[in-house]
Amino acid sequence: MVCRILPKLLLLLIGVVGSQGCSPVAAWERGNLAKKEMALDPNPNLSHIRDHIFTSREASQGGRANSGGGCGCN
Amino acid sequence: MLIKWLFKPLTFLLMLSSSQAYALHEGQAAPQCPSALTDKGQQLDLTAYQGKVVLIDFWATWCGPCQKSMPFLNGLRNERHKDGFEIVAINVDENTEEARDFLKAHPVDYPVAFNPKGECPGIFNVEAMPSSFFIDKTGKIRKIHLGYRDGDQTEIRGQISALLAE
Repeated sequence: MVCRILPKLLLLLIGVVGSQGCSPVAAWERGNLAKKEMALDPNPNLSHIRDHIFTSREASQGGRANSGGGCGCN
Repeated sequence: MLIKWLFKPLTFLLMLSSSQAYALHEGQAAPQCPSALTDKGQQLDLTAYQGKVVLIDFWATWCGPCQKSMPFLNGLRNERHKDGFEIVAINVDENTEEARDFLKAHPVDYPVAFNPKGECPGIFNVEAMPSSFFIDKTGKIRKIHLGYRDGDQTEIRGQISALLAE
């Protein structure tokens, strides 16, 4: 009996726990998400400059929209 | 057999996902927001503005476009206030003190109410920040404006003029 109910209960539990993660964040509740420290990239300007230097030095275009062919002048 | 076994849990999950709020729409009467408290700690009473054209503006200090819209809205309010136009701003910061500090540095002439727990934007089903609800003289929502860009100024101004002319 327990063996029959257990898988169902387990599935139900997974469903309930999983559904918590699907809860949308309302537009007015994004105050904490808007904080600077919550950004995926806290220093976008610095990252852009570093990425530019990296792609120039490595003579590659990188994964971003950078121009230039390796001379480091663009 | 598998479908039969999965039927109940799947039904349960569908029931969970089907709970959604019904958005306010244009033409509907503006709801009341007693949970928002005015600067003096009184409940916000939107019926007090009946007979006026009202723009209800939901804003927060963490929202860049909200901050950007405030000088324009304040100017528009002062320009058309004598014609029967008023702005009621509802702040939704979780920490009301941050909003009060912001208002000290960037004061506005229109009334501001505070709703840190967010019941009021829930009633209005605010979909973006900032959100502006244009209420006509009879208390009906006539336009819902989401977000703010400098290019929106002409549209907002025109909408207010049209409502005031009615």
